[in-house]
Amino acid sequence: MIVFKTFLKVLRKNLPIVILYTTILLVFGISNMSTSENNMNFVASKPNIYIVNNDKSDGITKNLIDYISNNTNVINIENNEEKINDALFYRDVNYVIYIPKNYNNDFMAGKNPEIKIKSLNDYGANLTEMLLERYIQVAGIYRKSIIDENELILKINDTLKNDVKVNITSKLDTNSLDKASYYYSFASYSILACLILVICLILSSFNEEKIRKRTIISSTNYKKHNRILLLANFCYAFILWSLYVIVSFILVGKIMFSSYGLLYMLNSFIFTICATTIALLVGSLITNKGAINGIVNVIALGSSFLCGAFVPMELLPDSILKIAHILPTYYFIKTNEILKTLEIVEFNSLKPIFLNMLIIICFSIIFIILSNIVSKKKRKIA
Amino acid sequence: MSNIIEVKNLVKQYKEITAVDNLTFDVKKGEVLGLLGPNGSGKTTAINCILSLLNFNEGSIKIFGKEMNHDSYDLKKDIGVVFQEVSVFDELTVYDNIDYFCGLYISDKNQRKKYVEDAISLVGLNDFKKFYPKKLSGGLLRRLNIACGIAHKPKLIFLDEPTVAVDPQSRNNILDGIKHLRDNGATIVYTTHYMEEVELLCDRIIILDKGKILATGTTDKLKSLANIEEKITIEINELDINYLEKIKEFKNVDDAAYNGNSLVITYKKGKNNLLEIMEYMKKENIKYSKIFSERPTLNDVFLELTGKELRD
Ligand SMILES: Nc1ncnc2c1ncn2[C@@H]1O[C@H](COP(=O)(O)OP(=O)(O)O)[C@@H](O)[C@H]1O
Ligand SMILES: [Mg+2]
Repeated sequence: MIVFKTFLKVLRKNLPIVILYTTILLVFGISNMSTSENNMNFVASKPNIYIVNNDKSDGITKNLIDYISNNTNVINIENNEEKINDALFYRDVNYVIYIPKNYNNDFMAGKNPEIKIKSLNDYGANLTEMLLERYIQVAGIYRKSIIDENELILKINDTLKNDVKVNITSKLDTNSLDKASYYYSFASYSILACLILVICLILSSFNEEKIRKRTIISSTNYKKHNRILLLANFCYAFILWSLYVIVSFILVGKIMFSSYGLLYMLNSFIFTICATTIALLVGSLITNKGAINGIVNVIALGSSFLCGAFVPMELLPDSILKIAHILPTYYFIKTNEILKTLEIVEFNSLKPIFLNMLIIICFSIIFIILSNIVSKKKRKIA
Repeated sequence: MSNIIEVKNLVKQYKEITAVDNLTFDVKKGEVLGLLGPNGSGKTTAINCILSLLNFNEGSIKIFGKEMNHDSYDLKKDIGVVFQEVSVFDELTVYDNIDYFCGLYISDKNQRKKYVEDAISLVGLNDFKKFYPKKLSGGLLRRLNIACGIAHKPKLIFLDEPTVAVDPQSRNNILDGIKHLRDNGATIVYTTHYMEEVELLCDRIIILDKGKILATGTTDKLKSLANIEEKITIEINELDINYLEKIKEFKNVDDAAYNGNSLVITYKKGKNNLLEIMEYMKKENIKYSKIFSERPTLNDVFLELTGKELRD
């Protein structure tokens, strides 16, 4: 308890700089957000695809192609494997569909002819895959009871039309989503910077060799002492995270009260935990209080810049994004970008988001293990 | 009397230096043991090894009869340490600092409150409770450092050069405080390179140099090692060299030297040396301004044992 109390006292002594830092960064993030333009999100949200049609018949084949084309941008390229691969490589298309010969006839005959695909496995590709699977699923169900091809097509279209309607009504206005994503991505910088600053300031006091010596020789269990410090740091992190969430409710409440809001909160919560572990690691290594400001800049500013907290990821060169893959911030911001263009909140479309979260959690575990190793070493003074 | 500390064959090497070289000694219950040695003789290193703050190369350490290692929390609760450098939080007030370090031992709030107040009065910081360390003078800081180390009323106290570079008032206050702790039954290990303090405080003394024990014993026993019985210093403005040679021939005189304006005569034995020399001066009509006789100091002992002065 005395450790917790002293943590607060040390924090209170540093309060002016902590408050200054927190408010400046928060205000900075908010003002940046309101100037972020409503870009052409709608176009960006339509995946680019290419269809290789080896079945020249009308009917189901044509209807399938029409359905997919209506919901995507079909790109014009030469029908040539090399060109198609190039287009995928340069990300000009997200998804390629190969409709096999005799698809129409085989399908009507009750078979399930295989449709080959090539995919970038990104958001656009997933969306296209969902459209494709949905069509085949719906068509498959009605085929059992409706034998007439024209009647079948009418029924399918009718069902899918309602689907799209549902989609459209559930879709939030992209402008607010944009804002929310921008706000949270920028928060990656603010949260990381504030946490490193505060945790390093406090830990550098507790870990200073002269203080550490007194702690080690005392009858307080050293591990327990460190665990309490850890807990205190996480409490601070939780308060900081709550602050950012509350402000987001004020700014984009409409989004925050939807299922998107939950995802933004979950994502930023996991990132905050990771940022805390980074700060703890840095704090356990730091010996010089004067170096803290520099370290905050290098780590928080550096990683946020590389990972697109200030400039949207689409605008960053590939080489920078490649480096960014080794930073947890990348996966946090990536998720915010996915959320920005996510049209349907369901398990399949959320898979990449959960994967990103898992990666961030793995990063956190690594950082915790590392700082544990450091603090074990520090049980002796030489 | 039982042994509070037993150190056996302790060796601690840094890369090239052997800072503690095969140290063996005991500390008995209730005594004040002085570790006397010049800077760099290994006093701090020895204490850090005993406290398990440092890994050492060889040897064994028992405190209160039990093996000491880094998780001997039951032993640690009765040990208090005052480190050589001031070890406090800059962000906490005098009171909060003492409260925090005491709180690492004592979780009961009311008891701690009393203990902290006791420690504050012991070192005389009552008027400075709300001060931050940055606002304290060197002497007051040292007193705070002591209060932080002993507030939990330990049975065994290590004090590592607690009076280095403090003003005389703080120094007296600190020495009185230590006597008070001793009178309340604490066992104390006291390191210093000031021999006067050791003579004043310690029941037993260990003289260290280059990590080795040179001599152990009470002040009197150690002084007998100095190989001189008495030292007489006479302040004379001018002294003829012939007189000096004559004095050297005196029966009990070991050596005599004249430099600047003081004549120092050392005696190996004899009772009435002072009287003898005063009569000689009177007879030869040598004018002198001051004359005094001293028993040998621990510095003389150190000089005798190592050929160098304790203080640089
Ligand atoms: N961390 C260290 N690394 C290397 N050498 C050290 C270290 N600490 C102390 N020493 C050396 O060990 C010797 C003993 O030092 P110390 O125990 O501090 O002496 P004292 O406390 O008697 O002044 C000195 O020669 C010192 O230079
Ligand atoms: Mg020392």
